[in-house]
Amino acid sequence: MAREQQIKLTVNGRSYEKTVPARLSLADFLRDHLHLTGTHLGCEHGVCGACTISMNGRSARSCLALAVQADGAEIVTIEGLRAEDGTRHPMQQLFLENFALQCGYCTPGFLITAIELLRDNPKPTEHEVREAISGNLCRCSGYQAIVDAILAASRLELA
Amino acid sequence: MSDARFVNQRMVGSSVIPDEAIPLVEGDGRFLNDIKLPGMYHVAFLRSQHAHARLIAVDASEARKLPGVIKVLTGQELLGKVDPFRSMPNRFSGGESIQHWLAVDKVRFCGEAICAVVAEDRATAEDAVDLIKVDYDPLPAVTDPRLGELDGAPLVHEACANNYLIKREYERGNVDEIFRDAHTVVKRKFKIGRKQALCLEGRGCVAGYRENTFTLTVWMSHQLPYVVRHYLAKHLRMAETDVRVIIPHTGGGFGQKASIYPEEFVCAHLALTLRRPVKWVEDRIENMVASTHARDQTIELELAADKDGHILAISSDIWVDVGAYSTYLWSAGMEPLQTAGLMPGPYRIGAMRYRTRGVATNKTPVGPYRAVGRPSASASLELLIDEMARKLKLDPVEVRLRNLISEEAMPYRSANNLVHDNVNYIPCLKLSVLKSDYDRQRAEQREALASGKLRGIGVACFAELTGLGTSTAVGPGTLLQPGRDAATLRLETSGVLTIAAALPSQGQRIMTAMRQVASDELGIKLEDITSITNDTATAPYGFGTFASRTAVFGSGAVIMAARELRKRLLAMAAFLLKVPVEDLTIVNSVIQTVDRSRSISLRDMAEKSYFSAKDIPQELNQGFEVTSFYDPKFGSFAAGAHVVVVDVDPKTGHVEIVRYVATEDVGTVINPAVVEGQIVGGIAQGIGEALLEELVYDDAGQPRTVTLADYLIPSALEIPRIELHHANTPSAALGGFKGCGEGSIIGALGAVACAISDALSRKGGDIHSFPATPERVLKGLGVLPGDA
Repeated sequence: MAREQQIKLTVNGRSYEKTVPARLSLADFLRDHLHLTGTHLGCEHGVCGACTISMNGRSARSCLALAVQADGAEIVTIEGLRAEDGTRHPMQQLFLENFALQCGYCTPGFLITAIELLRDNPKPTEHEVREAISGNLCRCSGYQAIVDAILAASRLELA
Repeated sequence: MSDARFVNQRMVGSSVIPDEAIPLVEGDGRFLNDIKLPGMYHVAFLRSQHAHARLIAVDASEARKLPGVIKVLTGQELLGKVDPFRSMPNRFSGGESIQHWLAVDKVRFCGEAICAVVAEDRATAEDAVDLIKVDYDPLPAVTDPRLGELDGAPLVHEACANNYLIKREYERGNVDEIFRDAHTVVKRKFKIGRKQALCLEGRGCVAGYRENTFTLTVWMSHQLPYVVRHYLAKHLRMAETDVRVIIPHTGGGFGQKASIYPEEFVCAHLALTLRRPVKWVEDRIENMVASTHARDQTIELELAADKDGHILAISSDIWVDVGAYSTYLWSAGMEPLQTAGLMPGPYRIGAMRYRTRGVATNKTPVGPYRAVGRPSASASLELLIDEMARKLKLDPVEVRLRNLISEEAMPYRSANNLVHDNVNYIPCLKLSVLKSDYDRQRAEQREALASGKLRGIGVACFAELTGLGTSTAVGPGTLLQPGRDAATLRLETSGVLTIAAALPSQGQRIMTAMRQVASDELGIKLEDITSITNDTATAPYGFGTFASRTAVFGSGAVIMAARELRKRLLAMAAFLLKVPVEDLTIVNSVIQTVDRSRSISLRDMAEKSYFSAKDIPQELNQGFEVTSFYDPKFGSFAAGAHVVVVDVDPKTGHVEIVRYVATEDVGTVINPAVVEGQIVGGIAQGIGEALLEELVYDDAGQPRTVTLADYLIPSALEIPRIELHHANTPSAALGGFKGCGEGSIIGALGAVACAISDALSRKGGDIHSFPATPERVLKGLGVLPGDA
């Protein structure tokens, strides 16, 4: 197998063509090659969810995927959540206002997961929210403020 | 005197949305691994595969040949060049442990670093680690402290007879006599597993050579920047003025990042010798074996009571598996001495005795982790109080009310010599009982039991000593008295106030808290105040963030500095406005006369002071920069009472928390939403401790839990909604503040443990070992054979 491969992909609306080592993980590619360090690594084997990104509209663990697997993909990371004018995504704003982050290391993964949840299920119950974020680990918050932020976002759509 | 009454709205007590969280929510946090320097090398460590072995030979010749490898450093090469970690002297030491940064001659736990490989990139460094050949001569491993303390057991350190790193006996009052004459004596054992802080971000560092004017600059994921600077300089034999320590955004600390470890010090040495920046980032497996563990206590506890359930004396025997080395800085005494010494908690206990030991084993060293010692001490006593209540046919709430230290009895000196004052133990319990509708819970429990459901209710009360001043040692038995921290307040040329203090945050929003306090003290608008907390080059001296101290110390130092700064500001304004100083006040960043006829904005005054000072007398213009140190001398007790309802599935052993009510006394609250986050987060970690988390070793000392798939921390599904209430009373510390970072984890372990025990007791069962995994619960019910 070739040690390096060329890939073409879109990240946060921008197209990239890069030659990458075959063994490079997607997370390391985003962080080290594209300098998108908002995606964090917590366990590097797909359990903690800190590295969650959106890949072709679905949440994915960027630590488990290789960069070469993202060839042709459309990816959104936390850096791509803000509007073009810099306004925070409503979910970002509600995480801030609900004190839904402490150290902030897990936050990028939670934001991606939460946004996907409300896209697929705009009016989740509290239990559905807890179920949806159960693949993302937070060690600081006890989850309560995160759940509240997501529920607040689900109510926002009503207005 | 505080002039806060002149401010339109008090900031202390408001849930101010923290500006400092904005970069984190926008993906612009700068964590350790996000730092890159030009020409930076990467470090990976070769770690011991054995729990205990002699190192016969280390052959790195193949690794050195790998393209991209810069250097392979061994322990032998470091000998004589740097000073290894000798255990911090402790009055109760059983013997000294010496920890080389890279193992020399012997390895003493799986995961101990043997070599450091420096390469162009991390992947190459890891490839090279795999090419190093180590010839081990395995030695018998000590893995059980009860066996390790026996005569003839293998020794982890030659200097530690019976493997005692720590040993202490203590007695206050005539305990034997009290037990002999007591109406009721109850006794039980309690075991808590080994656990991990499990910060989502592991440790790590970037060490830079001759960055700016410093010989050595170290960016480290750590809680104590100045302490790191002091010890880096000491062990690398440098002047500390040549060392700068910067703490980037930090992905969790919880005490795990409050110790000194070898890896970061190796990196500093490498940067100095290679004259290039180097980076090391701990991966998860490394974190599970190379960052400090916690807990792992066996407690045998006895209690003597009168016929009405008043506790007369307690007596305990405690073994702590403290791992292979005395954790640097804090010594091995943290868990053994605090578990034993803080056992009385919030109760009136006039006599106590303990025998406690920290036994060295061939496991990862045990260090500080959120609420060191207290959760186990509290849970074991709470379980025993319930047992006494059952024996005397008293309700668990009633028996606690009879024993908690009442406000009338304060100040109260407990048998452990700590003085309780300004703390609401009984109001906390009463409020939790009221809010949980305790009597109805008991009625529903009876109904549930009648219909075949196994339901339990747990009540736990705790005391948490926070904000320790210089008169109370944080590291018992050691000379460490980190009870004095500074803050510098500086009015910048634009009139903006900067608060600098070496109190880095791992999410506690200390910058926001200090801004709120300063805003009230000085009448400066919150948006005109900024803060820096993470850099030894810019912050005044301080010990850092740990032991529920930061809000107390940061706020106290800010208040003291603000008083002096206020004097200077008003004196100059009086001169410029030609009015008596008594007529002046500061409102919304403007100094004005009380009748508002004359005023000058802080911006105008700062500009005049810095740029147009010709007509201002020199003695009035000594700079708007004040540093004050704050030492509260003693600590302040925070408190809480938790009521928990659990359902136990008798078939699967699964425990579900169906109701969680907590009342806490955390003193004057600076930012209620931040405080709530601290408390709820602490409860979640306590629930993990009670139900899920355990680091498991086999008999040969091999760790079996090295990933997050083996070591389970709670997800959003295991944590119920926490109902939080307050029964706060101000402390004697400046501002009335107390710490709130650790108390709740104490209450959570005790309350959940008591609830499970209560449920099992309804079927004649009981449980002594935690976490209460399904297997242990089933053993406790007699469904599975074996001791629970």
